[in-house]
Amino acid sequence: MASNGGGNSNSPYSPDVRPSSPLPATNSSPPQSARRAGGRLRRGPTSSPSLGGFETPPPPGRRIPSGAGAGRQRQNWTGRFPPTPSTPMSTDDVPPSSEAGEEDTPETDGGGVGADATPVFVWGTNISVQDVNAAILRFLRHFRDPRDAGRVDPVMDEGKYMRAIHRILELEGGESLDVDAHDVFDHDPDLYGKMVRYPLEVLAIFDIVLMDLVARMEPLFEKHIQTRIYNLKSSICLRNLNPSDIEKMVSIKGMIIRGSSVIPELKEAVFRCLVCGFYSEPVMVDRGRVTEPHICQKEQCKASNSMTLVHNRCRFADKQIIKLQETPDEIPEGGTPHTVSVLMHDKLVDAGKPGDRVEITGIYRAMSIRIGPSQRTVKSIFKTYIDCLHIKKTDKSRLHIEDSMDTDNTNASKSSEDSHVTDKIDKLKELSKLPDIYDRLTRSLAPNIWELDDVKRGLLCQLFGGNALRLPSGANFRGDINILLVGDPGTSKSQLLQYMHKLSPRGIYTSGRGSSAVGLTAYVAKDPETGETVLESGALVLSDKGVCCIDEFDKMSDNARSMLHEVMEQQTVSIAKAGIIASLNARTSVLACANPSESRYNPRLSVIDNIHLPPTLLSRFDLIYLILDKADEQTDRRLAKHIVSLHFENPEVVEHQVLDLPTLVAYISYARKFIQPKLSDEAAEELTRGYVEMRKRGNNPGSRKKVITATARQIESLIRLSEALARMRFSEVVGVRDVAEAFRLLEVAMQQSATDHATGTIDMDLIMTGVSASERQRRDNLVSAIRDLVMEKMQLGGPSMRMAELLEEVRKQSSMEVHQHDLRVALGTLQSEGSVFVHGDSFKRT
Amino acid sequence: MVGPQYDLVGNPLGAVRATFERAAAAAAAESGGRDPVAAFRSKDWGASEVFRSFLFEQGGLDKVPVLDASNLGLIKPNTLVRFRGMVQDMLGNEFYAGAFKDGATWRTNKFTDFSPFSMPHPCDSHLWERHLFHCVPVPGQNSWTLDSSPGPDLRQMVNCLSPEQREKRKRDGDDDAMDVSENGNGESSSCSKKPKEDDVQIPSSSAEMPASENMPQMNGNDHHIPGSSFSCLVKIYDMPESQVKLNDVAEFIGVYTFDPELAAPNDNSDDIMYDLIEDVTAQLPPSKVPRLHCLVWRKLSSVDFLAKHPAVEPLPSLLKGIRQSLLSHLTLVLGKDDLAANCLLLHLLSRLRTRVDVVTVGRLSLNFTGFNRESVSIFGKQLNTLIQGLMPYSQAIPLSIEYLNTATLQPRKDNKSGRLVTAILQLPQGTHLTFDETLLQSGSLASKGVENTVLLKNLMESQMVEYDFEYYKLEMATDVQLLTLSEGKSNILPSDLVVPFRPSTVSEVNATSEELESWRWYLATVRSLPQSSEPEIYQTIQDEMVSAMRNDRSLGCTELSRWLTMAQITASSFGEKSLSLEHWQMVKELERLRKERMQ
Repeated sequence: MASNGGGNSNSPYSPDVRPSSPLPATNSSPPQSARRAGGRLRRGPTSSPSLGGFETPPPPGRRIPSGAGAGRQRQNWTGRFPPTPSTPMSTDDVPPSSEAGEEDTPETDGGGVGADATPVFVWGTNISVQDVNAAILRFLRHFRDPRDAGRVDPVMDEGKYMRAIHRILELEGGESLDVDAHDVFDHDPDLYGKMVRYPLEVLAIFDIVLMDLVARMEPLFEKHIQTRIYNLKSSICLRNLNPSDIEKMVSIKGMIIRGSSVIPELKEAVFRCLVCGFYSEPVMVDRGRVTEPHICQKEQCKASNSMTLVHNRCRFADKQIIKLQETPDEIPEGGTPHTVSVLMHDKLVDAGKPGDRVEITGIYRAMSIRIGPSQRTVKSIFKTYIDCLHIKKTDKSRLHIEDSMDTDNTNASKSSEDSHVTDKIDKLKELSKLPDIYDRLTRSLAPNIWELDDVKRGLLCQLFGGNALRLPSGANFRGDINILLVGDPGTSKSQLLQYMHKLSPRGIYTSGRGSSAVGLTAYVAKDPETGETVLESGALVLSDKGVCCIDEFDKMSDNARSMLHEVMEQQTVSIAKAGIIASLNARTSVLACANPSESRYNPRLSVIDNIHLPPTLLSRFDLIYLILDKADEQTDRRLAKHIVSLHFENPEVVEHQVLDLPTLVAYISYARKFIQPKLSDEAAEELTRGYVEMRKRGNNPGSRKKVITATARQIESLIRLSEALARMRFSEVVGVRDVAEAFRLLEVAMQQSATDHATGTIDMDLIMTGVSASERQRRDNLVSAIRDLVMEKMQLGGPSMRMAELLEEVRKQSSMEVHQHDLRVALGTLQSEGSVFVHGDSFKRT
Repeated sequence: MVGPQYDLVGNPLGAVRATFERAAAAAAAESGGRDPVAAFRSKDWGASEVFRSFLFEQGGLDKVPVLDASNLGLIKPNTLVRFRGMVQDMLGNEFYAGAFKDGATWRTNKFTDFSPFSMPHPCDSHLWERHLFHCVPVPGQNSWTLDSSPGPDLRQMVNCLSPEQREKRKRDGDDDAMDVSENGNGESSSCSKKPKEDDVQIPSSSAEMPASENMPQMNGNDHHIPGSSFSCLVKIYDMPESQVKLNDVAEFIGVYTFDPELAAPNDNSDDIMYDLIEDVTAQLPPSKVPRLHCLVWRKLSSVDFLAKHPAVEPLPSLLKGIRQSLLSHLTLVLGKDDLAANCLLLHLLSRLRTRVDVVTVGRLSLNFTGFNRESVSIFGKQLNTLIQGLMPYSQAIPLSIEYLNTATLQPRKDNKSGRLVTAILQLPQGTHLTFDETLLQSGSLASKGVENTVLLKNLMESQMVEYDFEYYKLEMATDVQLLTLSEGKSNILPSDLVVPFRPSTVSEVNATSEELESWRWYLATVRSLPQSSEPEIYQTIQDEMVSAMRNDRSLGCTELSRWLTMAQITASSFGEKSLSLEHWQMVKELERLRKERMQ
């Protein structure tokens, strides 16, 4: 068979010997053509049966039985498309090894080919086969990775690809040689150009050269090694593929949206005679067709129409078709994504699954649509697809994905080569190095809302988040930062929330009036009085690993609020359904905003009194901001100006040095995913020092009672905040300045919310218990004053005294202002002490 | 071009070919015979020019029949048709052998799926590309828009009917379409000659078409029921794809082709390849989805739907009059509620003007509260009828728990079939939606219901609809006017403007068709009026805003922004190009009345 191969491959070529023949020399140099054909053959079965099978336009329907060379049809069809020697493939089935062996001796280098008779040109071009052959050989032999230049290593003596080939030979596993197109370009730009423009021909030669090389090194190596080109100099956008790209090598990025099942494709068919049981020689499949022998080839038998296909003796190859769709970032506004079919073979089958982002290098091809199997007429429409040469996953480009690193390491390191992604990351890193990145980020957050810079900084911290910590003991420390905004209506709290919701990877925006913590379903409730409809949705579960924005937090039902306790500390939600208690993850940061209970914030009252929220819940917020409307004409004017400019002018409110939304989102998600800052020693020290100082501050020498200004919860908050601040700079280490800024942020927030208005000091008790230390002091004073009064004025078991009388007495005695309410509370205390008995509006001493 | 040599309506391809051959010959002479047609890739060689001048300058537009579900079987293939529709899906590019060499002459396949001359194999050819768009009749299109640009009446259409019917036409004698075709009698121009030429490829289409397929009638509301709608596959040439956007409404004029053979499935295809690299178009059988090879197209705006273009300058005095009549009609429809009528007018005139980040400027969604089931059946119905009569596209959506849980609002890409599955919220720009929330009772929403409410809320707040592409979502910008009728303020659909509705009388009012026409013209004109303003007014408005804020601290950015929007719409409703203080005061007064009611 092997000897037969050369001759066979020539005979179908003979029709090609005509004036217009693209390869006039192929016939004059038989070994050449055999090699070419052989190369094609080897490529054929493994990589691209379509190369032979569905050459650009010629569908089987167009095949003219008259015997006019199929090759010529194709060539003329597209005018400039080179002739792919698909015809010889049908008959030529030389086992690669034997052929390679044959040619082993006469050839030494690429030069050997060139010396061979007249130059052979790829049809329709001025590309000489010999030249290309030599160029490829040069490339494989001599290309050295510039990165290896410095190293001195006996193994490094060889070129990059020679080493790769050795590796393949040693492992016997690899069936393909990945060739970086950048290397080709660096070594020989001309070869690169030819390869991209005439991939079919150049790759066929590439394979031949490679096989020759292998055969010389290891004559017994039988496997076919295929060249897989990747990393082209430029990748094309899916929607920009156009007719001029047909038959060129292209590189496109996209997302796999669908994959067909794996199709076994017949490569070699074996027939058996039903009469005598004779097995035929394997018959190659040509263009999806196989010619069934009519007559049994056994001399003695010669029965006609007796041959039947033996399935388990045939050789099959895997094939798969996937659909590649544009990624969202390439779709212009108002457009829908384009798709393209990609044909995968052998090892590439199942290399990507739907949902993967990949970069594909392949040959763009078109085939015409037949009208019917029997008809010769061809529709003028073509179907296009890409014959895949190389597939690379680029999952890293998905910047805003969940924090979990689900890509394995090898993959990650490989895809980090991806220039596009690295570009993006580089840009982000560059940004992070700017000295004013913190301010810049602050400015970029909701640029349409002014002032409130410290609030914005807090929100930024929330977006970046601290590190979640899980101790071996099982204790969890959340990394999420919770923020509460309290303030007057019309202070753009809601806008801030909306904006955060847009920015956060999995933000949920809900109104407190209709939020239940759990469930993916919701309930429509109708206010019986006003008829207002409200949606009660389970917001917290939905925002796992995101920010849950709750507007009108004060209007949340107690039931739902109690659920928040669990969420904000344990980061889980428990639901009982059908007798099973399930604990769902709700690792969410809560951003809530609340309106004061009496429409406007009363500065004389504490936060607790202003927004009837239980102190236990309040203490779970890391930062509580009071946003008060300060009736400032300047701000009003700015707001008015902004609105007017929004409506009238071309609203180019683009401020300089502001990150646009996508960049900001990318920046945040990159930081969240890849930066895990650790506290440095100095920072830890600073933290301790600052904390102690904060606690000390409560011990005013003047005041008698100790005021708590910070608790252990604050120190956790501080750690989280400083970690978030370090993340903003992409710093792996939390520095002293981060801690200092965290203290500042906390203090600013506390000054607004935890300041006891009676004394002007910061008092955490206000938030922890709802009662400030000074208030408690005042109450104590009152109780003792009353106690004294009662002791003094009333007889044991004597007549009872009215509350109003007492009030008058107390007022007379003390300088403080005393309310009836306070009095009642104080009497209650005394009653529990057992000194008085309160009955209705009067009381007596007991 | 000197005069129409061809029956451009009956045999547009003849004209295409003739121009091509002429251009090719000229190019060949110039280039010395070396690949003369290469230059014609994605370029027009003069064919569209011929049609453009015929259609728009010589009034040929009226002679072109309008393709719709009712006449799908009647129109002869390879004739010129018109189709008005919305781009529902973009199916990407299609490559075709645009030009090929038949012997010594170059032929073209442009504007057809089939080669009119059998292509010799092998032959020199050029691959060209064209864009495919799947177009449907505009969702929610109101019936009055259909009369605006009717096709030729039957007498003229006969020209393109099947041979039996043409017999009658012959007797008919003098119709101008005939004259046109007789001019070029030497060429293969008129319909009568065509069938012979195409005999091989195209059997008579009308015979092939079962009568039942002509059934679906255009009907305002059921475009979303899959299968019942009529659609058209438009192939557009020589244009960057970005010119057409999803949900654009456009008129396409081009060659209607029908190739029944394309529909025939490749049953005995021994080639698995053909099945796998399947074509989206394979699911659009030509018998149901006609192919239109577009020669000329233009985007349509609401002005294009007006019955006749009154070439009147939109003078303030004229607009003021119409405004008054429309406003009084609105007041009557709304049971003499003057405030509600004023707000409704502003709402109807609103349109999305700009978009900055997440902020949208110019929209004014309206929420009438105080409705219950009874009043909705009276006023809501009247309101709907009126809106249908005024707006080119409108839909009324009954918002109930069941609806939210079951309706498909989100357009979704079906990656199996490769097509975008339409849904309620795939709407063209400028659609009017009315939600009836009185039907909404307490109840649970399933996850679909939650998704739907989120979609609606997003639409309300940012005029964006998220399309589901399975592996990611894509936000599409819309410009939809939203009106909600509800009992109390709707928190599910938060509108910009909430107006308690207080009707005092119930009266049946009907507008005459002239009135309706003038109102339509008014709405379309005012909405497209450009807005300009002098810088002086900026300062005044800013001062006004600051003083308003001083008086009422609860005023925030949203309210003031809305005020300004309302003031601008008020200005243009009087035909004024720029805002004046007077309009601002009117809005303030309106707001004062509204606030009073809210309490």
